[in-house]
Amino acid sequence: MSLSRSLSVQTFAPAADASAWPGEAPAPGAFSQLLTGVWEFLAHTTGAEYLFFFFALLAVVCAAVTISHRNPVVAAVWLVGSFSCVAICYVMLSATFLAALQVLVYAGAMMVLFVFVVMVLDVDERGTTNQPNTRKSRRWPYYGATVVLVTGMTWVLWGTLTRQFHTSGRTIGTGFGTAESVGRELFGPALFAFEGVSLLLLAAVIGAVVVARSRRERVKEAVALGTSDEGLHVAGLGSADEDPGTPDLTDAEVRQPFPVMDFGQPSAGGHEGGN
Amino acid sequence: MISITAPLYLAFALFIIGMIGVLVRRNVLIMLMSVELMLNGANVALIAFSRLWGNLDGQVFAMFVIGVAAAEAAVGLAIVVSLFRSRASADVDQLNVLRD
Repeated sequence: MSLSRSLSVQTFAPAADASAWPGEAPAPGAFSQLLTGVWEFLAHTTGAEYLFFFFALLAVVCAAVTISHRNPVVAAVWLVGSFSCVAICYVMLSATFLAALQVLVYAGAMMVLFVFVVMVLDVDERGTTNQPNTRKSRRWPYYGATVVLVTGMTWVLWGTLTRQFHTSGRTIGTGFGTAESVGRELFGPALFAFEGVSLLLLAAVIGAVVVARSRRERVKEAVALGTSDEGLHVAGLGSADEDPGTPDLTDAEVRQPFPVMDFGQPSAGGHEGGN
Repeated sequence: MISITAPLYLAFALFIIGMIGVLVRRNVLIMLMSVELMLNGANVALIAFSRLWGNLDGQVFAMFVIGVAAAEAAVGLAIVVSLFRSRASADVDQLNVLRD
């Protein structure tokens, strides 16, 4: 309690540029006070705040469509919209470098990865390949956990917003949040954590490659390492012959520049080459 | 300057929507996207408090969160690819055995 009070004494802005959000909620039952609060809110809201509210609302709407859409590809596109709106909100919060990073990493690289995986996996609108969903499982523990967690989060937010933080924040310089200032922080005090993240990304790349190998590749590697049949069976690779996937190419076919060189005779209609 | 409450509401809404997506949806791809939404909500809160205190540590931490989210997406999608090879389904309720 004393800590929060001392912090608030340090950081509360002067009343002149205090927050536009109504500092205290209107008393219950007082309709005129509510109207006054709404009027105060509208009169003191600046253009930057309207822009922030607009894009925040847009981000929330896009996020809601993301989790409610059936098709994962469409959901990924809505997620890109949500991330872009959040990037604009970052700019409003003086985090220009983070906004650029959000667009590049989230909306660019990771969404490409998502869409690429969805395309590779051949998912249809129900999220399955071709199997009908026959088994109806019990989902009520998840719904109960949803209700409990949403209630808890709302309670925490309410407790936070009603006790502290009715402040417009500390005044900052012009260089706040640029690539230079964030970079000085990143390569100064946070250098060790930065190197740790690079190591994490390397481990993630290697892990992704190892995990996503197909069964055929794993069998081929195990045979190349000289694993016996018994060892293959122990590793869960014993029944490789029953794999219904595409048939293996022979070594002679693989060594050629194209796997299959004999495309058969051209058809009678003069069709040559291509499929 | 935007007051601190508005970004907190945005962070709250994004986190809640992501949490509902993780808990209610059964498609594993949409669950991964929902995890990204939750991390994004945490990032909004970090940047809002970074602006509130005039301290850049929050933004640096948000950068680390973005890096961790990228690693998580790569490994998670690799697991999804591996699951699709053996199960041909994105329904998490049908993934109930550990062997092939």
